[in-house]
Amino acid sequence: MVEANQTLDCKGLSCPMPIMKLAKTMKQMEKGRILELLATDPGSKPDVPAWCKKTGHELLETAEEDGVYKYYIKCK
Amino acid sequence: MPDETEKEKGIFRELYDTFFSHSWQMWVGSIILAMLSICLFIIASPWGSSGGLLNWGQNLFEGLGLSLENSAPNGVTFIFDNNYALLSLLLIFGALASALFGKEFAIRVAPVGELVKGLFGGILMGIGCIIGFGCTIGNFFSGWPALSAGAIIFVIGLVIGVFIAVRYLLWEMEKHPKMSSGKSATFLQAKTKGTSLQPLAGLIIIIIGLAFAFTFDNPILFGFALIGLFIGIVLQRSRWCIVRALREPFMTGDAEPAVAIIAGLTIGLLGFTVIKLTGIGGELTFVSANFWMPAIVGGIIFGFGMTIAGGCTVGSSWRAAEGHVKLWLALIGIIITAPLTLEYIRPAFLDILPTWMKKQVFLPDYFTYLGAVIIMLLILLIWYVFVKWNERTGRFSAM
Repeated sequence: MVEANQTLDCKGLSCPMPIMKLAKTMKQMEKGRILELLATDPGSKPDVPAWCKKTGHELLETAEEDGVYKYYIKCK
Repeated sequence: MPDETEKEKGIFRELYDTFFSHSWQMWVGSIILAMLSICLFIIASPWGSSGGLLNWGQNLFEGLGLSLENSAPNGVTFIFDNNYALLSLLLIFGALASALFGKEFAIRVAPVGELVKGLFGGILMGIGCIIGFGCTIGNFFSGWPALSAGAIIFVIGLVIGVFIAVRYLLWEMEKHPKMSSGKSATFLQAKTKGTSLQPLAGLIIIIIGLAFAFTFDNPILFGFALIGLFIGIVLQRSRWCIVRALREPFMTGDAEPAVAIIAGLTIGLLGFTVIKLTGIGGELTFVSANFWMPAIVGGIIFGFGMTIAGGCTVGSSWRAAEGHVKLWLALIGIIITAPLTLEYIRPAFLDILPTWMKKQVFLPDYFTYLGAVIIMLLILLIWYVFVKWNERTGRFSAM
């Protein structure tokens, strides 16, 4: 299980808010730090990996627990 | 826990996983939707969305005893007697069933600021779709294949509205982050451990939807009901979204949603042209008298509203079915303001316009069918080139 340095809670938010907030948070993050993103929008399941791939931030791990999708992203 | 790779999947498990464990690609949804729209056109008229929601709203107003003298002097057709109202209803059934099947249903209550944007966006969409004589389906996904010049102008309006809304959302996130933050709540989500009841509930919803569709003796109503159910499933499965297609180039630069819409438009264009040329369907179907002022004004208002809300008329419908309360409010906004716009705002607006600003322009009347089709294909090609170039260079994308 990945240890995160920061958590971004996007529970309850629907498209495009999770990605918008993710982008803003990652811009302000230091290189190497790990962000835990929490989302309830099913759209985040394809969106977050796609965004990470496009921007070069590493998606370390994903998990799902009772409707909450968790993404662990390492800032590049 | 048995090792999944050693144990062979059951045949029903495999069937389920193929269709419901992941979202479908948006272009797959697009092509299916274009073909279903062609089917609807052959039956009666193409896929449309705002007309159905307008009828819902008119029924609501009539039920509350409020008269609609201008827009419905002879009373309002009941929902179950109106093709599009029925389609819009079964669409929600289908999307709900699909979400349940994929264990993606949950009542999701966004923070208050988001809910406000949902309602406000819906209000703007209700106004925009009536002033513009159509929404993202009637004036775009079906409007472009219908070879309506007004539909092209409407989409120019949409792009302007989307652009302004993206700037607004980015500004709001910077300067007023509390609008999109705060307490949220999620209910009835599928539990990860154990067996969820959602797929069973989904199956029940589908059976109810099918049974309901088959109660209609009128073949057109039956067709619209049945196809509406499938449209709902396809929409939710592929998370089909015109807002994304127009918005992503200004945000992440992702061209995939736009390319998916282009694919659907191309199929639709071919099918609709055959239907119109051969006389199977009326030439002026979905060609409204909105060229050009109603189209541009309606388009801008609708485009801004849909981006704030996070879904157009169909996007709000399938997301509402998935349980997002923000989009319930967007739908409520549309249902309330569309009839009011038709009753009060649009007649006044059209009155002040000279005839040349509110024309019904069918492209083949000016360019022949071949010319019109070539123009449309060129527009699609230019759009494709733009989004792909933007994806690579990031020229217009904020993130």
